[in-house]
Amino acid sequence: MSEVPEKLEIKQRFPLWKKWLKPITEKDYKPGFYSYMALPKQVNSDFFKMPFGDVVREPLEKDWKLPENWKDIILKEMKDTLEKNRAFKVFMDICVRCGACADKCHYYLGTGDPKNMPVMRAETVRSIYRYHFTPFGRIFGEWAGARPLTEDVIKEWYYYMYQCSLCRRCSLFCPYGIDTAEIVWWTRRLLSRIGINQRFMCISIEACSRTGNHLGLYAGGMAGAIQQGLEELKDITGFELHTYINKKGADALFVAPSADYFATPHWYVMLGYLLLFNELEERYGITITWSTYASEGGNFGTFHSYEAAQLLNSKIYKEAERLGVKFIIGGECGHMWRDKHQFINTMNTLPKNEEWRRFWDDPDLGQISGGLKGIRLDEYISGEHGWIHILELVAALIKHKKIDLDKSRNDHWKATYHDPCNVARGMGMLEEPRYVIKNVMNHFYEMPEHTIREKTYCCGAGGGMLADELMELRMRGVMPRMMALRYVVKKYGVNIMLTPCAIDKAQFPVAVEYWKIPVEIGGPMEMVGNALVLTALGEKPEDRKYDLRGTPIREEE
Amino acid sequence: MSEIMYIFYILPYVAFAIFIVGVIYRIINWANSAVPLKVPTTAGQQPTFNFIRRTWVDKIDSPSNKFWAFIRMLFEVFLFRSLFRNTKYYVEKGGKNADTRWLWLFAMLFHYSLLIIVIRHLRFFTNPTPKFVSTIEYLDGLVGVAIVPPLLMTGVIALVALAFLWGRRIFLAKERSISLPSDHLILFFMAVILVSGLLMRYIVKVDLSYVKMFALSIITVHPPSPEVLANLHWLFLIHFTFVCITIAYLPFSKVMHFAGVWFSPTRNMPNDNRRKRHVNPWDPNPEVPILARVGIVVDGQVFKSKKLDWNTYYEMYKDQLDEIAENNYTIKPEL
Repeated sequence: MSEVPEKLEIKQRFPLWKKWLKPITEKDYKPGFYSYMALPKQVNSDFFKMPFGDVVREPLEKDWKLPENWKDIILKEMKDTLEKNRAFKVFMDICVRCGACADKCHYYLGTGDPKNMPVMRAETVRSIYRYHFTPFGRIFGEWAGARPLTEDVIKEWYYYMYQCSLCRRCSLFCPYGIDTAEIVWWTRRLLSRIGINQRFMCISIEACSRTGNHLGLYAGGMAGAIQQGLEELKDITGFELHTYINKKGADALFVAPSADYFATPHWYVMLGYLLLFNELEERYGITITWSTYASEGGNFGTFHSYEAAQLLNSKIYKEAERLGVKFIIGGECGHMWRDKHQFINTMNTLPKNEEWRRFWDDPDLGQISGGLKGIRLDEYISGEHGWIHILELVAALIKHKKIDLDKSRNDHWKATYHDPCNVARGMGMLEEPRYVIKNVMNHFYEMPEHTIREKTYCCGAGGGMLADELMELRMRGVMPRMMALRYVVKKYGVNIMLTPCAIDKAQFPVAVEYWKIPVEIGGPMEMVGNALVLTALGEKPEDRKYDLRGTPIREEE
Repeated sequence: MSEIMYIFYILPYVAFAIFIVGVIYRIINWANSAVPLKVPTTAGQQPTFNFIRRTWVDKIDSPSNKFWAFIRMLFEVFLFRSLFRNTKYYVEKGGKNADTRWLWLFAMLFHYSLLIIVIRHLRFFTNPTPKFVSTIEYLDGLVGVAIVPPLLMTGVIALVALAFLWGRRIFLAKERSISLPSDHLILFFMAVILVSGLLMRYIVKVDLSYVKMFALSIITVHPPSPEVLANLHWLFLIHFTFVCITIAYLPFSKVMHFAGVWFSPTRNMPNDNRRKRHVNPWDPNPEVPILARVGIVVDGQVFKSKKLDWNTYYEMYKDQLDEIAENNYTIKPEL
């Protein structure tokens, strides 16, 4: 892990165009800002084989050992990308450089590096496009903002394409909807064609393509982790609970990001899921199963390329079909829901099992249990997709009064809510989590309006930026979010920030420690778990003495 | 001498031909490019259970179907919806955001003034002038009626807005840094056109009867008489030439954003991913993922990944999976 200085200085620079058209080189790479490159065992693996991945590459070395005709490959692939993705092509052409995006990027705000402005990040690619694909660029060269493709350009791309978390905040403010995530994602894809891949994300992609999840957890390990959770719940609630795994004939498949099996504070969210599933089964007879094959909700492939994303998310519909489930419930995760909401049903064919088809003909949960009648998924979902977010489900259960809640069990928490970027801007789930939170706890405070909902700030670690070697970049990138959090902590005494995102839950505990903000991090499902009264199992509201973290709920009198 | 003047008669046809062909080429070029994924930027509450409230802003910013996506496009194109969100971040004030709608305001003023100015110019190309053109001109001059000829507001507003938009590229460090020569070039064209036009109307007071005859000759494709050409004022010729150059330049420039924005997938697609499956034209039937189906072909070499289907997976982790099966696919706390 790279050391992050105690004091961060944001030094802004404003080079003129002739200056910034000169690409940076590996000599300009700063520790804490550049990613390690993938090793052969990650990108030359049987299950994840990338072109020219059999070479060990070191970013700080001059020679990047590119394949001999790398330039032809890049240009050919770039032409291909322009044909394959209209977004990429249109965004190459229509930017007017108005600058509306500049101070919307958390990495730009935190680093002051001019090439971290979304417009400039894209210009590093556009300048190549202009030179090689437009007549004006070829004729007028740098006067048209064009420059030829050189090895240094590749190095500049690697540096700046991997300082973007694909949070899409810039695309919200762009008058033409130019989405830097599209440009960055497809440029990373270009780089991967000449053997340049980032190590952090490829470790997880490879693991997921081989074992089913990012952690590389085997079936037994996953079952063991869940079992551990059930044991903890026995201590907390006194009930012996259970759950299903790989169970054929279950009503729904549940898919969570694999961090939930181990990491903290993800763990408490996992306990929340288990409590809910048990109450639902006991009360309504609905069975929900986990899967070891489809054990990963997240998808680091969405940081890498279309093909990698498809490789990872292809397992889930297949597993839904094999198990014969009716629909799929997704856990708390940010980029997972970009993938699950916007990508998965385009990248894959749908489950063809009879149960699925029959359920979606008339998708009322009453089909599964008379008690749940009235919760109709076709108010916004169809069998052409089939996923529901756990918080959407909980919101509906609350609205229809299908579960019992005791808000006062969360009285020791004062919460604020962080919208994960992809859930906000790649899905639009803004109200459901708030609806749930307000129904399971009494103290909830919003952060300032320009930092929440669709305008939410990234945690600074999404899009593959959670790597340890990027620590300084991460601590800088999280700055705008931390300022907003500090504001509510000071003003309302907030002591927990809830976020339904696995990467947030990994990044924020480190960030609040660095920025010295006395606040815990958790997920909404943890609060649901605390408040959920297991009525069907015979629990009374006052029975629960400890919350899911094991701290006493009510102060001793 | 007089023959050379016919260049000015030819010029608009050439410029328009380049413009039309160029714009059509660009549009076809964009349209030919595939849309692999449905990726709207969802800027409001998604379509969801009926009990969750969605305001009309949500309906526009997170459109539930193609109709609302079209409404969103109209807001984007005619009201600059996204620019209206603009904020400014103040690091020094502990990270405060403030609404800054100056850019939106001046962009609106500039674009709409230009539109009205273009409509007003129709009076040169029509005989008699249609009612709506003279009405617009009358309204435009309402405020500046005390001046002779009446001061038309749009001309002044466009000039002020242009000064603002160019000024920020010159005086603000960030904007200066991101500006390319082409960004200044188009502003320079606009400035020449606006200033020469205003000069002709208010200061130099060019005789416009010849201008109108010239304009009508262009529209009716009847070459003007040498007398008309000889009487065109030099200031008009500058104005006219720059208009033609600008029109011819547009298809090659960033000004194509007026057409391109309609093709922007983050704006023109509805947020109905979970209702309607989007088909990727180059991967329409993804039964098996591309990497395991064909792999990546680069430079004649094929890089193919092994497929991890359930059977492969089961063979790899048989013992553990069998143990799970033995426990009847149920996990319970250990006693």
